[in-house]
Amino acid sequence: MLKPEQMSRLLIVASKDQMAPVISELYRHHLFHIEDFVEAGAKDYEGFKIGTPLSGASEASSDLVKIRAIQNAFSINSEDFEAKQRHNQSALQVKIERELPAIEHEVEELTGKRSKLDAQVKEYEQKIAEISPFIGIPGDLDLYRGYSNFVIFAGYVTKEVSISVPHEMSFTKGKGKNFLVVIAPSERRNEVEGVLQEAGYQAVTIPDESGIPQDRIIFYNEQVTRIKKEIEEITHKLDAIKEKHAGFLVACEEILKVQVEKTEAPLRFATTNETFVAEGWVPSGSVETIRQGLVKATGGKIFVTELAISEHDIVPVEYNNPSFAKPSQLLMDTYSRPKYTELDPTIMISVVFPIFFGLILGDVGYGILLLVLCLGLQKFVKGEEGRQLLVVLRNASLSSIFFGVLYSEFLGFPCPWVYILPSRHLNIGGEGGHGPNIPGLMMVAIWIGIIHITLGRVLGMVNHARQDHGDHRIKAVLANAGWILVMWGILVLIWSMVQMPYMPDLTTLPPVVMNLNAAAVVGALMLVVGALFIARDSGLELVELPTIISHTLSYSRLVAVGLSSVAIAMVVNYIAIGMLIEPQLENITITGVIFILLGVVVFIGGHLMNMVLGILGGSLHSVRLHYVEFFTKFYKGGGKKYSPLGLTRRFTEDL
Amino acid sequence: MKASQIGMKAIAAALAVGLTGIAAAVAEMAIGSAAVGATAENKDVFGLVLLLTVIPETIVIFGLVVALLLIF
Repeated sequence: MLKPEQMSRLLIVASKDQMAPVISELYRHHLFHIEDFVEAGAKDYEGFKIGTPLSGASEASSDLVKIRAIQNAFSINSEDFEAKQRHNQSALQVKIERELPAIEHEVEELTGKRSKLDAQVKEYEQKIAEISPFIGIPGDLDLYRGYSNFVIFAGYVTKEVSISVPHEMSFTKGKGKNFLVVIAPSERRNEVEGVLQEAGYQAVTIPDESGIPQDRIIFYNEQVTRIKKEIEEITHKLDAIKEKHAGFLVACEEILKVQVEKTEAPLRFATTNETFVAEGWVPSGSVETIRQGLVKATGGKIFVTELAISEHDIVPVEYNNPSFAKPSQLLMDTYSRPKYTELDPTIMISVVFPIFFGLILGDVGYGILLLVLCLGLQKFVKGEEGRQLLVVLRNASLSSIFFGVLYSEFLGFPCPWVYILPSRHLNIGGEGGHGPNIPGLMMVAIWIGIIHITLGRVLGMVNHARQDHGDHRIKAVLANAGWILVMWGILVLIWSMVQMPYMPDLTTLPPVVMNLNAAAVVGALMLVVGALFIARDSGLELVELPTIISHTLSYSRLVAVGLSSVAIAMVVNYIAIGMLIEPQLENITITGVIFILLGVVVFIGGHLMNMVLGILGGSLHSVRLHYVEFFTKFYKGGGKKYSPLGLTRRFTEDL
Repeated sequence: MKASQIGMKAIAAALAVGLTGIAAAVAEMAIGSAAVGATAENKDVFGLVLLLTVIPETIVIFGLVVALLLIF
């Protein structure tokens, strides 16, 4: 549970002619994590060499590229694709050879045509944009060209212009910028240019067209509609092909992927002229199955042995958790996968995360809404990670409902039963009542922090005891104990001086020395001894002592973030019901109905926003408490992911 | 308790939340823009940077805690 899956190191040696059956067998088991062979690149090196791919590797790769190109054109994503039926591998292989080139040809032709038409549409639209400024000016577009003694200016200006040179001008007023066309004699070009420059002249190209602008635009618009229709037809055709072949394509991709992986596996093996050596990791429980499978597949012409694991080996890590904790592996992978020798805290995060979430967003209403949302999304979310996230959120929502019952809250309203946890009902809207019990809530949060951090330190002791050696091991374990001692020492000191709710009261003990009572003395002793333990391991660590207080106080976010969402909920209720709806219900008028509708909108919108904020805040802060406050006490992470050779087939089957 | 005392407490609470809020926002501003940049480079880090972005929120949470303790 708290440990990753036990791994064994396997060495496989056989002659090269057994390579294909060995790879097939390993692939079938989907358990062998290949340790890549790295060739020592020294000069005149005469030892193992990296293997060469099996035959058929390059054909399979190029077919795979083709298939992926088609999939791209269709935007088919095999991960999101639901398998309707499983294809038989050998039948499919025949089909690949026979049908794939035809499909590829057809798709290529159609997509090529489509992109050509797309380009044409763009071109015509550009032309329309060029012509449209001239639309207000009567006259043929031919008239703008071909003069030797006149020069034509066409463009935008910011204000009206008056030109002293004899000229012909058409001025169209527009929003912010005005369009103008000026025809003037060539020899006085500079003067006109000067005047235009002052008016912020921006030239436009005169379209290379002939005919009335309006007619040209109508013509091009017709062209665009025609081409768009053609594009639509092609898209329909492509859709039909997609509909027909999508299943075939994802199945092909899967088969080819398998083939490529199999044929390229030798690139990770060490080889000599006649033999090959494969090294890798398998879960210890499966060693025998794999050994027997290999012996059977090669007819006994193979040598398989288990190697001892040395301290410096980087062992791939596979989680080994009970099924309820599996979705929380997502939260672990976001931080870092545990190392092989480390404790795997997944199970703790899977229990504590929902509790924290519930403490923050403890509201029956929001909990039910989130639960419905999660269950509803389950149908649409594909892919492993999305599903895991949904399960994590679903558990969190259940916890939210549970804590909502304890807090007696429903969308910010009090429920008809009495709260069990300290009250979070703020006095918003002047309804009176008890008001929130902030000190009580705070103490609950601090207690959770104390316990969580102590647990973290205890795990730190276990981790150091397991991972370290010799002198350092004792020191590191004692340092972790020192941290616990300092924290509890400070606590006992505080208890001996101040009386607080939900905390032991040690202020009444008789004073022993210097007006301090026995508890204070014990607390101070714990603090000093703890600090000594820490200093023995590393003196610099003493600088970190204040983090004990800041990390413990950080758990007050469980209250603070929760209270802020309660406050928003209550404010929304007060604005929607207290201010907008209730006063209008006394005598209903037409404006009153509008106010009531507005109130309903505020109510729904406000609570939706608050729920989104609550989910974000609740989950991020719970995760953060784990990552920053909890994991820093014991967890390093950085383990290598266990990714065995093989593939879970979804669309095909081997027959 | 005199009214002026209650008023001073309210002002102190408001300052505690308001100033820490500004501080958290300033800190998150830098992290947030870097986070968006990192996500644009590599989408996988989204979860991690979302988390990094909320780390300075501790500041405002302490402010809120102080304010709550002042008022209640």
